[in-house]
Amino acid sequence: MNELEAKEEIRLIQEMIQKTRQATAESGTLFFFWGIWVVLAIIGNYVLVFLEKYSWIWLNWTVFVVLGMIYSGFYSIRQEKRQEAATYVQMASRYLVIACAVGYVLLGLVFPLFNLYSYGVIPVLIAVMAGIELFGIGGIYEWNLLKWCAAVWWLGSLGMLLVHVYYRTLVFVPLIILGYLLPGWVLRSKYHRGIKGHAS
Amino acid sequence: MPPEKFAPLDPVIHSQVRLAVLSILVSAKKAEFSYLRKAIGTTDGNLSTHLSKLEEAGYISVKKSFKGKKPLTTCSLTEKGRDAFSRYLRALEGYVPIEKS
Repeated sequence: MNELEAKEEIRLIQEMIQKTRQATAESGTLFFFWGIWVVLAIIGNYVLVFLEKYSWIWLNWTVFVVLGMIYSGFYSIRQEKRQEAATYVQMASRYLVIACAVGYVLLGLVFPLFNLYSYGVIPVLIAVMAGIELFGIGGIYEWNLLKWCAAVWWLGSLGMLLVHVYYRTLVFVPLIILGYLLPGWVLRSKYHRGIKGHAS
Repeated sequence: MPPEKFAPLDPVIHSQVRLAVLSILVSAKKAEFSYLRKAIGTTDGNLSTHLSKLEEAGYISVKKSFKGKKPLTTCSLTEKGRDAFSRYLRALEGYVPIEKS
């Protein structure tokens, strides 16, 4: 073996790793789904406030979160079955998402039932959690945009402190657009480019 | 450990297809036969021959099952295969001069 052949083998190794990475990239569908789903839950939240049915607000969020998780679970299982390869990076990201989902449920739905903190704190905690989730996924996939989106969520959690308790949930809307729908859209276009590249 | 200068390369790995298979499996927990074939761009028969060689050496494990009614072959890297791949990479580094910035 000479230097040229060695370089060619190194290029082949890099190409195969890159191809596998692209073929198993996230499609961004769940980012879109959760972005739109949470906006719908917020609309439901404010409709109930308008109707002065405050006791139903917890139920509204619980129904949205449980249905969303069921859909996400089915979607992920179906994707896993369809995929012809599974990477360690994907697995790490899935475990992080599951851990964060448990965090969202505990912080947003379970702990408030025990009056551990006031309802006004929930959006702040959820925004912090969303930042942790995006920063983690950004780190796993080495994708800086997601890390910046995480920073947007963390700044949003601080910004919420300046907003009246009743309107804190509304701060979610710009955060979701910037921190969820935008990376979802970028992921989706990257995913489709990857599929085209893999097919050709 | 510094790379050995011109260390002998593992003959089991020293083939385009087998090296490509191991490169995929080093980052993937598991990969289906169809994925390997498409990614590497080879034929069913050729890939089967190379997979058998890697399996005989204990570098990969091959699991046969069914996906619906279709037979499914799934490959994954063994510990022995991971070690062999690392050694191969270190040996390969010996052939490429380190670029100083």
